[in-house]
Amino acid sequence: MDTTQLLKGVLDLAVLAVLREEDGYGYDILRRLREAGLEEIGDASVYGTLRRLFAAGLLTTYVVPSETGPHRKYYSLNAAGRDQLTRSGKLWRSFATTMDTLLDDRGLAA
Amino acid sequence: MTVTEQEITDYVARVRAALADLTPDRRDELTEDLADHLTEVAAEGEGTLVERLGEPETYAAELRAAAGVGVGGGRNLDQRVATAVVRARGRLRAIDTRLGPPLGYETASDFLRLLRPGWWVLRGYLAAMLVTVITTGGSFGLLPRFGGELLAGLIMLVGFVLASIWLGRRSGQLSRWPRSAMQVGSAVLVVFALSALMQAEDRMRYGDYGYDPTSVDNPYDRIRDVFVYDSEGRLVENARLFDENGNPIRLGYPDCKELAEAYANPVLRAYPYCPDRAPFGPRGPGMPARPTVGPQPTDTSTPSETPVVPTPTSTPASPSATPSATPSGDPTPTRTS
Repeated sequence: MDTTQLLKGVLDLAVLAVLREEDGYGYDILRRLREAGLEEIGDASVYGTLRRLFAAGLLTTYVVPSETGPHRKYYSLNAAGRDQLTRSGKLWRSFATTMDTLLDDRGLAA
Repeated sequence: MTVTEQEITDYVARVRAALADLTPDRRDELTEDLADHLTEVAAEGEGTLVERLGEPETYAAELRAAAGVGVGGGRNLDQRVATAVVRARGRLRAIDTRLGPPLGYETASDFLRLLRPGWWVLRGYLAAMLVTVITTGGSFGLLPRFGGELLAGLIMLVGFVLASIWLGRRSGQLSRWPRSAMQVGSAVLVVFALSALMQAEDRMRYGDYGYDPTSVDNPYDRIRDVFVYDSEGRLVENARLFDENGNPIRLGYPDCKELAEAYANPVLRAYPYCPDRAPFGPRGPGMPARPTVGPQPTDTSTPSETPVVPTPTSTPASPSATPSATPSGDPTPTRTS
């Protein structure tokens, strides 16, 4: 099992978490995720996730004109998004704890 | 910036093409920011888009998975039918080009196109045969007949073949309805031809053209009486025939009145039924029937047949009366080991 497979399930959570600290545009979000350690994440995955979360009503967008480059579409968490982040975060922590305990009990090093 | 506008446009176009099975709304929703996004990506790195992001089709698949859009999800029936038709056409074209070279042509349809005039002639013949079957009521051979008339049938054949060729050469100029009618007619003829072929095949295989030459003739059917002669050429009377199981063999039928009365039980009847009709011996076939069962020799009758008839008056039914039968017995063959 590689990271890509694990990522599929938690990409929503990762994107929501990254957007919690600061609004961002597509490539910016991707870079932040990679800087956070999710280096194997794909551009299309992030882009597709952003589109899906937006369609689900968890994100809002606004366009920021830029003098040097293209216009940038920024994504930001709305109330529903923050709510979702809280719930998903809790679920993940509980799941991660369960998995940690399961592996610890069987003597697997971290 | 190493990536051109054109490259981005092409990339987006290919991603959109890979998502062609989605509804237009869904696809637009997924890809509306893609060009802007790719411009961003292009601005912040080196190398082409394909080098950095992979092939557009792979990108589209990843996008699809991340956005939670399954393959073919959300399509309506029209689009599904259209996709199926496109796919079937593509497959047919592939088969067409693959079958071409073994036939010696670029495509198989090139080869089939050459056969079209042959089909036109065959179509005319089949139409004539269909009319033959209709007018003659089912029975038909290989040549067309019109109401049983061969000459009229042949004239009809020529006419139909010429008409079929004429139609075939002008099928491209026909409008929609006449062309559909012609296609339906051709299909009917093909079905007719196949069924007629099956029927003919059956008739050929069983050699059954209405006449059945099988013989049920029994070679013993014509026998009316049986005459047994001993080795001396004397007629054995009151002989009985049995098979290997002891069952009496009944042949012929007694048509001598006096005998029929004498033996009421047909099983008890012995051969010959009518000794007067014996073909050989003292009783010639031409002799008039005599009422007495016992043989009465006539002096001059058939001397050439059996010269050794010393005592015809003795009862011939008893086998002991013929001593000459014994010498014919073989010497004991037990000597040979």
